[in-house]
Amino acid sequence: MATTTASNYLDPAALMSIRNLELRARSVVEGFWHGLHRSPYHGFSVEFTEYRAYTPGDDPRYLDWKLAGRTDRYFIKKFEDETNLRCYLLVDLSRSMSFGSGGYSKADYARTLAATLGWFHSQQGDATGLMTFDGAVREYLPARHRPGHLRQLMLALEKPAEGRSTDLTAPLRRIVELVRKRGLIVLISDLFAPLDSLSSALSLLTASGHEVIVFQVLDPAELNFDFSTAARFEDLETGRDIFLEPSLARAKYVEKLSAHLEAVRETCQKLGIMHLQVSSSQPLETVLFDFLKARADRGKVVRRRAAVA
Amino acid sequence: MSFLAPFFALGALAVIGPILFHLIRRTTREKTPFSTLMFLEPSPPRITKRSRLENVWLLLLRCLALALLALAFARPFLERAMPGPPPGAGQRIVILADTSASMRRENLWPEARGKIEARLRAVHPADQVAVLTFDREVRTVMSFEEWKKTPMNERAAVAIQRLAQISPTWNATRLDAALLQSIEALDQADESLQGKREIVVVSDMQEGAQLDGLQGYQWPRGISVTVDSVAAQTHQNASAQWLSESEENDKPGEEIPLRVRVSNAAESKKEQFQLHWKGAPQGTPVLEAYVPAGQARIVRIVKPPTGATALTLSGDDTPFDNTLYILPPQPAQLPVLFVGPDADDDTHASLYYLRRAFPKTAHQNVEILAHRAEGAVPAFQLQQSQLLILGDAAGDVPITSARQFARDGKIVLMPLTSATSASVLGKLLELPTLAAPEATVKDYALLAQIDFRHPLFAAFADPRFSDFAKIHWWKYRRFDAAGLTGAQVLAQFDNGDPAVVQVPLGKGSVVIFTSSWRPSDSQLALSSKFVPLLQSLLEQSSSLPPQKAQYFIGDEVPLPTGPQPLRVRKPDGQTVSLAPGAKFSGADQPGIYTVTPGTQRFVVNLPPDESRLAPFSTERLIALGVPLRTVHETPAEAARREGQAQAVEIESQQKLWRWLIVAALGVLLLETLFAGKLSRTVSGSTIAST
Repeated sequence: MATTTASNYLDPAALMSIRNLELRARSVVEGFWHGLHRSPYHGFSVEFTEYRAYTPGDDPRYLDWKLAGRTDRYFIKKFEDETNLRCYLLVDLSRSMSFGSGGYSKADYARTLAATLGWFHSQQGDATGLMTFDGAVREYLPARHRPGHLRQLMLALEKPAEGRSTDLTAPLRRIVELVRKRGLIVLISDLFAPLDSLSSALSLLTASGHEVIVFQVLDPAELNFDFSTAARFEDLETGRDIFLEPSLARAKYVEKLSAHLEAVRETCQKLGIMHLQVSSSQPLETVLFDFLKARADRGKVVRRRAAVA
Repeated sequence: MSFLAPFFALGALAVIGPILFHLIRRTTREKTPFSTLMFLEPSPPRITKRSRLENVWLLLLRCLALALLALAFARPFLERAMPGPPPGAGQRIVILADTSASMRRENLWPEARGKIEARLRAVHPADQVAVLTFDREVRTVMSFEEWKKTPMNERAAVAIQRLAQISPTWNATRLDAALLQSIEALDQADESLQGKREIVVVSDMQEGAQLDGLQGYQWPRGISVTVDSVAAQTHQNASAQWLSESEENDKPGEEIPLRVRVSNAAESKKEQFQLHWKGAPQGTPVLEAYVPAGQARIVRIVKPPTGATALTLSGDDTPFDNTLYILPPQPAQLPVLFVGPDADDDTHASLYYLRRAFPKTAHQNVEILAHRAEGAVPAFQLQQSQLLILGDAAGDVPITSARQFARDGKIVLMPLTSATSASVLGKLLELPTLAAPEATVKDYALLAQIDFRHPLFAAFADPRFSDFAKIHWWKYRRFDAAGLTGAQVLAQFDNGDPAVVQVPLGKGSVVIFTSSWRPSDSQLALSSKFVPLLQSLLEQSSSLPPQKAQYFIGDEVPLPTGPQPLRVRKPDGQTVSLAPGAKFSGADQPGIYTVTPGTQRFVVNLPPDESRLAPFSTERLIALGVPLRTVHETPAEAARREGQAQAVEIESQQKLWRWLIVAALGVLLLETLFAGKLSRTVSGSTIAST
């Protein structure tokens, strides 16, 4: 159900009112297709086939009999992978993600984003895996492309998370252990964590050869800190509270936050990670568009970096 | 505006609570959840805001509600003058002096008299005083009328002088009756005095005083009671009480042990007591009784020594109730006279069964006297005998004696043993034409209609005993009861013929059985009804009243009714003459009383309640609704108490507290509405702000 708004994009608040996550994701993607009409970016995950000399013990099923007939030599034909791309969606569902000023939380937004990406990839025939986490790994689905997998993915996403703290290191290490094949890893989080632990965790991912995209989801209230009344502000993760006069605290906060964001951006750039900062009031279609655009640019970046190196 | 309970107004200090809460709540309220505090530093709120009270109107409402509640509890009232007694009007006072037996202890009576004298001397000239003494009954020492008639300066002196002649009696304490009678005296007194009315009780307030009569009594307004108690040094008392023998022991020929209950007071420290026989020969062993404090033990005495008439208890501190008079019960001698020629061992005759019908019991000893001679019955036999049974074939002279016996108020029993008995009955009733022909009975006759309301058959009225159908009557004589004036048919046979008829004769009566208990006539003598039937006849005929083993001081003692006047000798040697048939009511001292002529003696003991000496709490009186005043009260105290009572009355009329409570509820309702509205707007604004 693609609603055409004035800006031709789906309003996130209206989107979040759709209860079913799968339906939500489909509306975003379909709207995206409709709005885009034609995508120049499909087919980017094709792997070439290779031949390798047969060694005893290889499965004779994979012998290239034609070649053997022609040349009398035995080669194993390595088939194309079942899917073009293995994409892992890492969704942070910690308590800090449950904050939301606009009627829905950042976690809702992150879920919808993950579901949208999952749907999008499955449309393309890519295998999609999922890992949700807070302090530890909550749900894990290996990357697959088969009927019903998308449904399972949606269900896993919809499970509520009760964890308090955010710890990026442990889940990222775990995903590195679990995923041996190189693939695309999409991390959706607010990245409210100390910078040093963040950079070491992200470097783990890049080090194992994965392509990493980070969506940093932030609430508009977090960005602007536009509270008016003095109150006790309670940390959703630690439960600690402090008394604040927002008008006094705002300037300092914005300064600190932008420093943090800048540092995160720098870290990502250093590690060759695509970093996309998303406000939870932003329509998902534009996010999806940014995502695809960034991926298209990425090839150039890497190439350039490689050339430099 | 005054307050009944001003200390409750201190409750208004509770307004500090809401004020504090309004100050504190500021900092605790409104928590805003936020994703992280990583980038935030605490910024303290501005000092000027901190001390500011939030929601001043709400605070005011809450404080007002609390203040109203506190004010309501303080019971405010608007002062105004109550129509009180005119100044200078005298009081009416009844002074009640206890003269019961317990006042004989120690120095109690002189002390009580001293208190009364002090009160009499202190009375205001306008006051009216009556002095009454009470124990079992109330006696007037000086009435209101006498007080008024006596010159003003002599009143107290006269009363004191009269009081000096009075000493405590041996009677029980009936405080309830005394108080009620005092109220009556106050009510009857001069109506012109509308002032205060007061009863002053001067007593030892012993536990044994009777108060039951005050239960549920509605005390008239304006009468107050002051208790001026005299206290003994010690309440360590033990007492002995003779328990009359129970019915189970009522077996003939068996020695009945005397049972004496020794009770010890709860506050007593002594536990070992001795019982001595008074008047017993030297060497009679002393009975030991071990009774723990607050308990009672029963001492069994198999046989009192000869000549002993009283048991003395020793070992306690109060001697006035330590002598218990005891007379071993003597069976009543009740001779029954049989007039007729029956032989003693003739099993076919009436006399044989009669001799076996009255067993000897502890209470009575029935002797059957048979008069077989043709001559007149001796006068002393006629006088002593309690029942006369007239057999048939009695001679004319004995019949005349029997008629005289009935006329003196006793019963003559006449069983008709044959048709010829009718002539004997005719002579007895002086109806020569009377006939009683033999009735024709097929197999047997049964008693059908019995008048169980008549004393003769009353004992059988219970359905368990009323079955007479097992008695078969082989023969009986037909007899026309309707022909006799005043005849009452007490039982009928099943065909309607009379079986038992009572005919009045003089002061007494003749009871006619139309059959008899001889085996040839009926099965009556063999049945279980025979003995009780004859016993009930004997009881009706007998002039001896039922005797109790002992009486208590003040009890009325029934004496044998006889034609001649009786004299009763009291333990102190005084003699009281009594008209024939009167009851003796002069038992005013414990001891053994002797009745002459005759040998009857009876025992009068102290009422057991009089030995319960512990003073009772005045709360018992208050619980019974007695408007009690404390004794020692200065005029200032009295005035304050009066004022207080007046304030209570005004307050109870005005009942301002109700309106204050209503106002407080109204304020609380306002507060609820206001607070609800406020919280809605606050939460709304919070949502809007984020």
